[in-house]
Amino acid sequence: MHPVLVGLSHKTAPIEIRERVAFREEAVASALEALRRDYQLRESMILSTCNRVEVLAQGGDDAETIDGIKDFLYRYHSLEPDSLEQYLYALREQDAVVHVFRVASSLDSMVPGEAQILGQLKQAYAVSGQAGAAGTALKALLPSAFRVAKRVRTDTGISQSAVSVSSVAVELARKIFGSLKGKSVLLLGAGKMAELATRSLVRSGISRVFVASRTEARSRQLASLFGATSIPLADLEERLPESDILLVSTSSDSYILGPETVNDAVHRRKYAPLFIIDIAVPRNVDPRVNQIENVFLYDIDDLQTVIGANLRERRREAELAEEIVRRESERHMQRIASMSLGPLIADLRGRLEEICLAQLEQSRQGMTDADSNRMEQILRKTARRIAHPIIMEIKSPAQDPQRRLHNIQMIKQAFGLDKGE
Amino acid sequence: MSGLLFNTAFAFYVAGLAFSTLVFFANKAALFRIAVVTVGIGFGLHSGFLIASAVETAHFPLTGLRDSLGFFAWTVSLCFFVSYVRYRIRALSTFLLPAVAALMLGTVFLKASPIKPMLSSAWLYVHTPLMFLAYGMFLVTFVAGVLYVFEERELKNKKPKTFYYQLPSLTTLDDLFLKFLVAGFSFMTAGLLTGIVWAEQDWVNGWHKDPKVVSAMVTWCIYLALIYLRLTAGWRGKRAAVVSMAGFLWVLFTYLGASYFGGLHQF
Repeated sequence: MHPVLVGLSHKTAPIEIRERVAFREEAVASALEALRRDYQLRESMILSTCNRVEVLAQGGDDAETIDGIKDFLYRYHSLEPDSLEQYLYALREQDAVVHVFRVASSLDSMVPGEAQILGQLKQAYAVSGQAGAAGTALKALLPSAFRVAKRVRTDTGISQSAVSVSSVAVELARKIFGSLKGKSVLLLGAGKMAELATRSLVRSGISRVFVASRTEARSRQLASLFGATSIPLADLEERLPESDILLVSTSSDSYILGPETVNDAVHRRKYAPLFIIDIAVPRNVDPRVNQIENVFLYDIDDLQTVIGANLRERRREAELAEEIVRRESERHMQRIASMSLGPLIADLRGRLEEICLAQLEQSRQGMTDADSNRMEQILRKTARRIAHPIIMEIKSPAQDPQRRLHNIQMIKQAFGLDKGE
Repeated sequence: MSGLLFNTAFAFYVAGLAFSTLVFFANKAALFRIAVVTVGIGFGLHSGFLIASAVETAHFPLTGLRDSLGFFAWTVSLCFFVSYVRYRIRALSTFLLPAVAALMLGTVFLKASPIKPMLSSAWLYVHTPLMFLAYGMFLVTFVAGVLYVFEERELKNKKPKTFYYQLPSLTTLDDLFLKFLVAGFSFMTAGLLTGIVWAEQDWVNGWHKDPKVVSAMVTWCIYLALIYLRLTAGWRGKRAAVVSMAGFLWVLFTYLGASYFGGLHQF
């Protein structure tokens, strides 16, 4: 009932292998068709990103399905089995469920908590659906995975902390100023990275942007982009006290801002905090500036340090997320198990009735029709009575899923109910 | 009846403190809500105790050192709720709840003191609560100042750790600091004025030489200076935290130490 999964990811395979096994977007539909045609896989789905290639499929027998997918991968990409086998993982039953939940929740990603993977997974599921390759197994699993991913996002802080330079700049500004509404940023120099950071800051509520740059044209270009005011470089000292954030990225190869200037500005600001981001290499702001009270100077390495700390924080949150995934996968397994009980119960009732009535058939000789009919009714009722406690037992929600599975297997074997599948 | 209320309130405070300590290890929002609700129940029971006790003995429990410790605990937890509702800073509980528990514990070791006839004046019920409300607010000011320094240090050293992830922005902490500082100062000023009026009425002479009065005046001056420096010279961060710590230590001395040098104050 659960699909199997065969794949490789950034954790098991180097980029040279991943790029050879990747599926181009437009090739996925035909690949799904090949899986159905050549390997008799009723359902299949292919997730192919730069960090992972995974095939989810549902056939008759799990082991055969796994071999089929592997064979398909070798042939499709014309690779020697020996060269690929070592990078592949093959998962089934609960292991496959847990893996899909983890991937959807971005716990298996290179940057845990990044949001892209969920969209890619949804896309892969949609393609599978359009190709007619998504049946009951995938339709039971994937929507559950999307729900779990949403829970992980809302219930843990896994995707909260910033892990890129621009978003870290915004996060730090928020840690210092709280709301950025009414705050102003002064751009000194106007590189591409400064533009990106300013874009993030403006999107987070910064209301005033000033630009001072050696190249007038670039200065005016940025000014029009952010509705900023262009100011002459010479006015820097005069403008500094009214700026809350200073973003420096000139190509100067020496310090253009020293402690004296900043000290003066901060004094005129009555020691309201000043956040200076120096993303220039070589640095433009004298590091001693950081020692001034209420001045927070971050160079590009400092921003990287914060990113590193945030990643560690994300990994801590990932532990909470793993717990959610573990619980939800248990719940999913139980739900699927109880869903597949319906046909089993009908089969069991039918089989018991069959056994009872077969006995009646042998003894019908010499009975009047009325007796025979009455007997038949009694036997049907008896069959139901016998079935009842067995059904109650396997339906019992208190049961441990492993034991329930075992019991179901035993009943199927004992009454020969296995053939249908 | 009132004794039972007091003890149950104490128990709830301690339980709330325990829950909020657990939050420190397992950072779960649900757990912290439980802590806040538990302390809330404790606060309700404590308020109930104050009323029941006033009804039973026909005077508000504010007349001895033991009673005053309990009342101080009440104003601190009141300040905790006001600041928590407004600012949602979980870390406040880490500092304020132990203070509440410690003050409550202090009452256990003290005996109730006899009531002096002078204390039957209505001024007692104005002067004393005003002073303790001010003290509670100064404690919040002090804690906010310390939290500001902690977070500032992590931002300066570029080593984001606990406070970076747990605390709101520096500006928010500064806002909390300033609001409680000004409010505490206002309450203290009102408390001192009512005290002076009361002393003029009932205290024949020499009230201004009472050690506690002198000490309270020093406290008042420290906070006046802090407000002045904050507003004109922009003192915040470490300097403000140090002054507010000095201020609060002086508060504690005024409250617990000054009577040692004699004087008319019961506590």
